[in-house]
Amino acid sequence: VKLPADWLREFVDVPAAPRAVASKLTACGFDVASVDGGVIDVEVTANRPDCLSIEGLAREVAAAFSLPLKQKTRKASGAPASQPGQKPILPVSIGDAGCGRYALAVADVSVGESPDWLRSRLTEAGVRPISNLVDVTNYVMLEMGHPMHAFDLLKLTGPEIRVRRARAAEKLKTLDGQDRTLDETMLVIADRDRAVALAGVMGGAATEVSHTTTAVAIESAWFRPTLVRSASRRLGLKTEASARFERGADVTAPVRALERALALLTEIGAGQPRGAVVDVYPHPHVARHVALDRRHVARLLGTAIEDAEIERILRALEFRVATTPDGWTVDPPPFRVDVTREADLIEEIGRHWGFDRIPPSFPPLRTAPSAAPPAERETRRILCGAGLQEAETFTFIEQAAAAPFASSPESIVAIANPLSEKFAVLRPSLLPGLLDSLVYNRRRGTADVRLFEVGSTFSPDGERRRAGWVMTGARVDHWAAEAEAVDFFDAKGVAELLAAAARTSLSAEAADDLPWLVRGRAARLVQASPDGPVLVGSVGQIRPAIVVARGGGESDVVYAGQIDLGMLGRAERGGSFQIEPLPRQPSIVRDVSILVDERLPAARVRGTIRANAPATLVALREFDRYEGPGVPSGRVSLSIRMTFRDRDRTLTDGEVQQAVELIVRALEREHGAVLR
Amino acid sequence: MSSPNDLRRDFQTALGAARSLAELQALRDRFLSRKNGLITALVKSIAQAPPADRPALGGAANALKQDVERALDAREAELRAEAPVAGAVDVTLPGRVVALGRRHPLTQVRERIEDIFLSMGYEVVEGPELEDDWHNFEALNMPPEHPARDMQDTLYLAAPMPASSGGRPATLLRTHTSGMQIRYMEAHRPPVRIIAPGRVYRRDNFDATHTPMFTQVEGLVVDEGISLGDLKGTLQAFAERLFEPGIKTHFRPSFFPYTEPSAELDVECPECRGKGCALCKHTGWIEVLGCGMVHPAVFEAVGYDADKYTGFAFGIGIERLALRKYGIDDIRMFYENDLRFLGQVAL
Repeated sequence: VKLPADWLREFVDVPAAPRAVASKLTACGFDVASVDGGVIDVEVTANRPDCLSIEGLAREVAAAFSLPLKQKTRKASGAPASQPGQKPILPVSIGDAGCGRYALAVADVSVGESPDWLRSRLTEAGVRPISNLVDVTNYVMLEMGHPMHAFDLLKLTGPEIRVRRARAAEKLKTLDGQDRTLDETMLVIADRDRAVALAGVMGGAATEVSHTTTAVAIESAWFRPTLVRSASRRLGLKTEASARFERGADVTAPVRALERALALLTEIGAGQPRGAVVDVYPHPHVARHVALDRRHVARLLGTAIEDAEIERILRALEFRVATTPDGWTVDPPPFRVDVTREADLIEEIGRHWGFDRIPPSFPPLRTAPSAAPPAERETRRILCGAGLQEAETFTFIEQAAAAPFASSPESIVAIANPLSEKFAVLRPSLLPGLLDSLVYNRRRGTADVRLFEVGSTFSPDGERRRAGWVMTGARVDHWAAEAEAVDFFDAKGVAELLAAAARTSLSAEAADDLPWLVRGRAARLVQASPDGPVLVGSVGQIRPAIVVARGGGESDVVYAGQIDLGMLGRAERGGSFQIEPLPRQPSIVRDVSILVDERLPAARVRGTIRANAPATLVALREFDRYEGPGVPSGRVSLSIRMTFRDRDRTLTDGEVQQAVELIVRALEREHGAVLR
Repeated sequence: MSSPNDLRRDFQTALGAARSLAELQALRDRFLSRKNGLITALVKSIAQAPPADRPALGGAANALKQDVERALDAREAELRAEAPVAGAVDVTLPGRVVALGRRHPLTQVRERIEDIFLSMGYEVVEGPELEDDWHNFEALNMPPEHPARDMQDTLYLAAPMPASSGGRPATLLRTHTSGMQIRYMEAHRPPVRIIAPGRVYRRDNFDATHTPMFTQVEGLVVDEGISLGDLKGTLQAFAERLFEPGIKTHFRPSFFPYTEPSAELDVECPECRGKGCALCKHTGWIEVLGCGMVHPAVFEAVGYDADKYTGFAFGIGIERLALRKYGIDDIRMFYENDLRFLGQVAL
């Protein structure tokens, strides 16, 4: 709202300069966007429709400076009051409770230009002058905050005014030239035959005032805020009038505003009222009474404020105040639609007494604080420690980016009103966003990219917290190292690290049916649980066609993995934090190298060894896998290191040798293995 | 026969040219060899000189010999010191650094904020990003068609889906973390002292100063006798820990449907100390967060006794704080994930 200082001074004799007025307004809750010469641009919050006006802001300024507010708009106008029994020129009927009041005046007019003072006032306030008639209604709206609308009297059929709901698919061409299709949720002003205005939002083109207009019907009404808002929203039509009505106009203002407009029309020689003002007002406003307890003021603000100061502030804002034993009974003025309860009154007192004067204190801690660490912190630190850089990618992505990573098109969750196609669906996986970020870096000349993200992913079953990672380029960037490219096992190692951190373990199963991963380089990650194995994630090489489709290079090799943190977390809570005492007995280590079929998974070899080993086998790990000269084609040489130890005694070479022989025999039997 | 002075001059020239131990040894032999060294020859030649000249010549030759020996020894020590040691490395080459990733700048700011409130006894809680109308709006004193809903242009789901914690089906992407106030109070009795960080979504453009997705940290304290003074004291302490001790703060009354009274916290611009600069748009202050005393209607929605309990709530936007802390002016940098940007933040 633009507040010209000279207009303000018609309501309050404030000697301060505009900048000083602006800082007082800020201190009592009105942000100031700018002060340009003598015009203060005030940002009014949604709860204060009364301050979408010069008069409303003047009231705040008067209260802030402890100055009287001049009752300028409350003077009697020259318009005759309506006489009971007198037949109105234009009958008004209200057919819907959404219209709480409808006042109407008829005036004979000669449409032309407004005088200079009126035109420059409007211009200063940011409104373009149009014609004396429209300018007067705009002037009164700016000054008092109450919107009005003028119909060309001769274009109204009947002539009469009916306030009613729109009919389904009823048409109305609004003043902006748009053909609107209405529905039953909307309130309209109609004449005998048709809708002529969308109540509280915009008038219709058919009854618009033009330079040939000789008589007008001026409407000054009150409409229920929710009806105005929903119509404005449904039609995508926001106006100065709808902004005021949807926040809540003053139901006691319509006649006063109308009289002010008629007086101005007369004053500038633009017209003369004809007949009496019609005022249909079925349920006149009844003041609310709100109890205010002085102890509650001190409790909520944290400081006691003197009674006299409380009363001064409330009265300056035109609240009626009567004392009671505990405090006061306060009647908010009708234009303060935002004040309905005690806390609202305390806010009024607080903001005009000054938030900056309230002494700071500290809330007592009456119960022990929770010791739970924030979720996912450790996960992030571990992934950073694994050499991955944390990324933040968008939760909503484009359909084309999501599709390859979803199990089916139906499993992608769409947004009803996306900002654009780029943000149309919720990510089914962290990988599309990470892949896009990886490609972004590659295109900017960064060769080695390793990224991770921890965040939510979405499917029709709901949302899940996951960790995802992508990697490409060299494993190590050092002058002394060979430039080795990252591979499957770098990506898998990240999952194993996360599992170890959660004190659990994962097993991998080759997967050929994950549509985003290359066949032969893809695995499901499975976690053992009391209810059987649970799928917790996947790891592998992203299909080159997907990388290329997202803008990556033909030869870019990208490995990726993803894990469900909710599942891993559940495993962690069951985990043990005990440490085994170090063994006192020495261990014996034996290495064996065997030739097996190249398609035989190492996990099966491991299983056979475990099944055939004595309890003294405490560790088992593969340390080499070789194919090439010396190994027959179709076979691989697998080298395994086994560690044997007994808790209570020293093992002999002989018994370990015997155990190894049993193991080798089992490998020969079950896998056709040949000892090298 | 050369004079001692000539020999001294020749030696100096030759010494300057000797670059290796081998060259130095050749030089030593040339001047000091017992058989055919130049100085040896000089000493021998003294016997043929007139007897009167012999003492002077002998003294000069001896001095020359001693100087040459000292100079050769000194140069040899120098050359030995310069020679490569077996197994020596070029210590100026880069070391082998374990490749550590860095936490994202938004994570770093968020964890910093969490740490400040953890130290004040707050619990960190998290909740779903897909919300229902009740938790996101209605219980927060924003019934349908409330004009304040316009302050948060909402993204809706094409079809409702089960909320992750059961209950009402989710219909929208949460527009703020304030819904966590409701979720927590529905499940817990006072006293309450929590912060709830997380992503929030609004139907906003994506440009240098706006993003349709950002991160908030919600705070909520509820107990008997919690006051606006407590809110001021808490947030002053927060601002001092986040920026620096003694930083000036300023509370401006504002409006949020779920707090009454409502306020916004400004902090003295850390760049210009309140004088006015581009960062603070020449106001001397930067907006840090919105806050206020919990609206009694919110307590009523969750079944708390609004006569007995009072409380405060606040919501911090992390992106804007991070822009200020890192001194950058384009919010999109946080979501591009350019390693040249991310690699600059602290480990």
